[in-house]
Amino acid sequence: MGRDAINRVCTEASHKFIKDQNFLKDIIQKTMKSFKLLKVSIIAVMLGVITFAFVAAPERITVKGSDTLVILAQRWAEVYMKTNSNVTIQVTGGGSGVGISALINGATDIANASRKMKNTEKEKLKARYNTLGVEVACAKDGITIYLNSASKVKELSIKQLGQIFRGEITNWKEVGGENQSIKLYGRENSSGTYVFFQENVVKGDYATSCQTLPGTAAVVNAVKKDAYGIGYGGAAYAEGIEICKVKKDDNSPAFVPTAETIKSGDYPITRYLYMYLRNRPTGETKKYIDWILSAEGQKLVVDMGYFPVK
Amino acid sequence: MHRYLMMKNNSIIMKKLNSILFLLLLMVAFNLKAQEPTLTEKISTVDDKVNGLLERVATDEADLSKLTKIKVSGYIQAQYQNFQSPALLSTSQNYFSLRRVRVKFTYEAADGVKFVLQPDFSPGALALKDAYVVLNDHWSKSFSLWAGKFNRPNYEVEYSSSQRELTERSAVIRAIYPGERAIGAKLEFNPINVPLHAQLAVFNGADGLSIKNNAGTELNSNENKDYDNFKDVMARVTYNLSLGSFGGLDFGAHGYFGALKSFATTTYSSDYTTVKAAKVGDAISRNWLGGEFQLFADVLGGLSVKGEYIAGKNASIGFAPTTAIPLGVANYQNKFAGYYLYFIKNLGKKNQFAFRYDYYDPNTDITGKNVSMSGYAATATTAKKFSGKSDLATTTLGFALHHYFDDNIRITFCYEIVNNEKVGTAGTVVDNYTDAHGNAGTLDWSNHINQNVFTLRLQAKF
Repeated sequence: MGRDAINRVCTEASHKFIKDQNFLKDIIQKTMKSFKLLKVSIIAVMLGVITFAFVAAPERITVKGSDTLVILAQRWAEVYMKTNSNVTIQVTGGGSGVGISALINGATDIANASRKMKNTEKEKLKARYNTLGVEVACAKDGITIYLNSASKVKELSIKQLGQIFRGEITNWKEVGGENQSIKLYGRENSSGTYVFFQENVVKGDYATSCQTLPGTAAVVNAVKKDAYGIGYGGAAYAEGIEICKVKKDDNSPAFVPTAETIKSGDYPITRYLYMYLRNRPTGETKKYIDWILSAEGQKLVVDMGYFPVK
Repeated sequence: MHRYLMMKNNSIIMKKLNSILFLLLLMVAFNLKAQEPTLTEKISTVDDKVNGLLERVATDEADLSKLTKIKVSGYIQAQYQNFQSPALLSTSQNYFSLRRVRVKFTYEAADGVKFVLQPDFSPGALALKDAYVVLNDHWSKSFSLWAGKFNRPNYEVEYSSSQRELTERSAVIRAIYPGERAIGAKLEFNPINVPLHAQLAVFNGADGLSIKNNAGTELNSNENKDYDNFKDVMARVTYNLSLGSFGGLDFGAHGYFGALKSFATTTYSSDYTTVKAAKVGDAISRNWLGGEFQLFADVLGGLSVKGEYIAGKNASIGFAPTTAIPLGVANYQNKFAGYYLYFIKNLGKKNQFAFRYDYYDPNTDITGKNVSMSGYAATATTAKKFSGKSDLATTTLGFALHHYFDDNIRITFCYEIVNNEKVGTAGTVVDNYTDAHGNAGTLDWSNHINQNVFTLRLQAKF
């Protein structure tokens, strides 16, 4: 091919390019005219959708909620992170209600709860994330009744406990103890234990004299120092106090919460402890939950004073 | 001599004073030694102080626990809107506004008793939105009784404006439930172990409606009292069906059965052929039924599809008790239908996309082609009501993208494409307007009228 031929081809290509460019420019101008600015905003929205649609799965898992479960959750995280150094797990307490609120507003990946999620909370999750949440039962617990070591009372029925915490029985002598006023210690209303104990034992309003404390450890400490105190909380915290035996009714035998009595259902105040997620877990979160439910994870449940789910 | 005696006296006085001071110092020293508390006394004093503080803390806690019964929440929606409707050229096609400025006070007086008060402080439109009391039954824990002003039982009405995925409710809901709230009483049934939700309500029924006489005087201005003796009844039942790990399906139905008092002697129908004689005081019925569903799927981070279909007969009231049949002041009953369909998809934890297809036809008896045509327009002999713009259906496609900065702050980009049903013959239904420059224009409803709206909204919730 000669130089002239090459020049001709290049010139034609150049003209074609300019023509195409003008054509494209013309189309763009026509498009801009026909599509007003506001219509273009739809495209911007759609682009935004595509952009935001790809969100990388986190390798940092945040866990928040139940104070009953917090020491177990921290232990799980510590052990898991030792063998999975690529994952960071941050665990904090605050109470079941606080954890579930954090789950609903996106502040945590997992909410620990010592009660089931309420319908009102599910509705909020639906409204914000369009899901019903995923519930994972991760351990069992026996709500333990704490008494001072000096207490003369060693066992109580569910009915008596209800009367005591409603403020209908106010003196220990009414349940076989000394002629002394009963001092009540309990949790704040953001606590799942507070809600569970209210629904299953108190069955009404707590007595106004019941002193609310931030955390199960604080309840145990208060009862430890008060010869006439009584409190409730998770079994794992029961140290340095007298564990009260509990009976279903006046004619039933009384039991303390142990692995056997909880598994057999003899201990009357047992409950599951849950982890809640917004969606079905994937990636590192799924691996972590699978590990918690594995034999290794459930062994830690027993080691920490809780009871396994199976 | 006198001076000598004076000096002597002073000397005696000074000696006495020194003696007294010495004695006082001794006494103070002795007393200090005698009053120094023992360790036990010190502990006892501290113990008393701690006990005193504990008592004060207990009193403060009791006071504070009373305050926790009062909950204050609310939200502000500030927005910029751009309207494409040429009819707005003469006024403003774009502006900033405060759409909602609400503070909600909830007082839980006792277990099972709740008071709610929610005013809206939007500029120039201070209004009481909610004011009601809820009493929950202590026995079955399944029933609750509501009394006051509250949302009518309907999915989109009861869905909070702060959560809604499009900036405004669907056209059909806005048309049949103006203002969303109504004054009345409601019984709710929420059985503990069954995912069923039933509501039965009785309302005055004229809430949010405009009922004017021939002189243009509003007869329903005092919405605190009923405009007539007829009470409207609403019922809604929904069921939450679990779909396992996939998600859940909520479905249900609601019905409205009400009437307005006639002040006119004629009732027109939306078919523009039926004319009924009416007496002042007659009940002009308004009845409709609706079916709804909400599907929540745990797919790709969570999505939902929601829809509702409502159809029935609505009514408006004329005012002509003495005149024979003056045009435009007769009662009017229109068959209507409307539906909406949402698709909502979460995009990670912070973003959400929503699409809504929304349709409302205020008159299903005739199509747009028939509007203002022979047989559907007033003549001197038939004296039927004009068919017109208000008979045309509207379809709205809405797109929204939300970004949550945190739980309290949300920014929304929303664009709505509005399509109108077209009138059959050009020039029969027109709107004349004059733009800001004084140029006259005409909107002919035989064509598509651009009524698209862009909204940029910032919402702060607390």
